[in-house]
Amino acid sequence: MRSRVLAAYCILIYLFLAAPIIIVVGASFNAGNFLTFPPQGLSLRWYVVFFHNDVFMRAIRTSLWVAAVTTCVSLVVGTMAALFYVQHAGRWKETVRVAMLAPLLLPEVLTAIALLFFVYAIGIGTRSMFGMVVGHVLMTLPFVFINVAASLESFDPDWDMAARSLGAGRWTRFRRIMLPLIKPGVIGGALFAFIISFDMFTISFLLKGIGTSTLPIQLFDYLRTNFTPEAAAVSTLSVLLTLGVVIVSDKVLGLKLHRF
Amino acid sequence: MTVVRIESLSKVYGAVRAVDRISVEIGDGEFISLLGPSGCGKTTTLKMIAGFEEASEGAIRFDGADVVRVPAEKRDIGMVFQNYALFPHMTVDQNLAFGLEMRRVPRAEMRSRIDRVLEMVQLSGFSGRYPSQLSGGQQQRVALARALVIEPRILLLDEPLANLDAKLREEMRVFIRDLQRRVGITTVYVTHDQAEAMTMSDRVVVMFGGRIAQVGAPADIYERPQNLDVARFVGQVNLVSGTVASADDGTLAIDTAFGRAAAPARDGLHPGQAVTLSLRPEAIGLGAPGKAGAPGRVEARYYSGSLIDYRVALDGGETLHVQSFPTVAFAEGDRVSVHAPADRLWLIGAAQ
Ligand SMILES: Nc1ncnc2c1ncn2[C@@H]1O[C@H](COP(=O)(O)OP(=O)(O)OP(=O)(O)O)[C@@H](O)[C@H]1O
Ligand SMILES: [Mg+2]
Repeated sequence: MRSRVLAAYCILIYLFLAAPIIIVVGASFNAGNFLTFPPQGLSLRWYVVFFHNDVFMRAIRTSLWVAAVTTCVSLVVGTMAALFYVQHAGRWKETVRVAMLAPLLLPEVLTAIALLFFVYAIGIGTRSMFGMVVGHVLMTLPFVFINVAASLESFDPDWDMAARSLGAGRWTRFRRIMLPLIKPGVIGGALFAFIISFDMFTISFLLKGIGTSTLPIQLFDYLRTNFTPEAAAVSTLSVLLTLGVVIVSDKVLGLKLHRF
Repeated sequence: MTVVRIESLSKVYGAVRAVDRISVEIGDGEFISLLGPSGCGKTTTLKMIAGFEEASEGAIRFDGADVVRVPAEKRDIGMVFQNYALFPHMTVDQNLAFGLEMRRVPRAEMRSRIDRVLEMVQLSGFSGRYPSQLSGGQQQRVALARALVIEPRILLLDEPLANLDAKLREEMRVFIRDLQRRVGITTVYVTHDQAEAMTMSDRVVVMFGGRIAQVGAPADIYERPQNLDVARFVGQVNLVSGTVASADDGTLAIDTAFGRAAAPARDGLHPGQAVTLSLRPEAIGLGAPGKAGAPGRVEARYYSGSLIDYRVALDGGETLHVQSFPTVAFAEGDRVSVHAPADRLWLIGAAQ
């Protein structure tokens, strides 16, 4: 009896949390002129409008590009940091960990403002997207770090020694032994980095290049003056895109755990 | 093949001398064990031979050439780890192929070498399995095969049987020993199990606190231990007290409860001095009371099938551990006479 009540609670809470997404997706198929739920008639007209909206299309390209660059940089830097942390940090381990996770602990706005001052102080400013990408890397680094470090903790140093005794050099050992065995952590970290960068608002808002805009910011801009179902269509597509990235990387890169 | 010479090799960690100026020569095709209690520096020594740890001082020579500066991946060694360290994302075949790929062995030769080694370790049907699909003993044999398939100069094993159950461990001892004989590879085997070291090795290196206490054939180590630590570590031992009766012609005569024993003269031992001798439990015989020997009483008796262990209290006050075949059996409380052949009484040194 009690477990049933508990289950009912869980379902209710879950529905409450998922409701906004369901409503947005539902509203995106609106045939009417306003963002309402339930939708007034079903149609794909707002999707058509979106795909013909140059501003949104440019924003989505920018977002994808920034997320891709961020993921690559974050992955390389985060993996190297995790390697150092697990294998060489010694008594500095705790310090390194706190330093790596610091971006999670500080309010995002503060980080953004500090970065803004910084990019202007070193003369780069916000003419290019450099500042924004740096900000994104900073915010996604902890996720790559945590995921890769967790996989590395279960990497037995004897595997590396065994490979060495068999004659494998440093790079071969990394490519053939370590990378395949920490793959779940690396892919997990990359997914987090991509999704978080794609959805990032505050950092992008302050550091975006002049005249460029990412999807979340464009959407925010749009909603300040308009209230059409196009916004819902944009959101729905962005959810689908994120989901697509997860599924594709799962299928192509094989997020499945190894046969342990 | 390969002769390994270790010359006053040391490893220093901060203030700790984990390995302290050890020297030993390992002959071509010889099976040598490093035996000692936990923390005595066995693994450290092995890792220096393998190249995973850098030597602080001294030299390691393979056929005369010092390899201290040669990185592990270039030393051409085969290594077997305690937890096997098989690559979990590779099949048995791929695990074995890895070392051959590093040596750029052609495909066809690779296949035949892998098949031959798999047959040697009796795992011919298992080439497509992943390590997680194998039992501990099978994983152990794959690890052995992976180390041997590259035909290394030296085979190094660090407590390879420690994770197996008792029965399998005894089977694997014989298996590894036979395989090593057949292949004829110079082998260094690390263990803290004295029985393992004794049954498998040509020679045993006994280590304490980073130093070599004694090097010798298993029988040497067992019957002629150089000091009390070795005597105690290698098998069970009774300590018997004696008194030096005379010292003539380089020979000491020593009086004990079991009669007079002889030993080569040693510096600092003179007539009248109290000394300690070792006596192995199975060297002691028990007889009916009144026969020749020291009188005593059976305090306890432990039956283990092939042998019986007794605890015997001598009337003189000493307590002895005696091991004998079940053909002559005494009960607890029986009076007995205890005798031991003089040549099994081995002089350890002056009494402490
Ligand atoms: N990286 C290290 N830093 C500091 N001290 C170390 C290090 N590695 C080993 N030691 C010390 O060196 C000594 C020898 O260690 P080693 O691992 O060789 O012992 P062992 O004989 O293999 O013991 P066991 O039977 O427990 O494996 C120990 O006292 C150990 O604490
Ligand atoms: Mg060890």
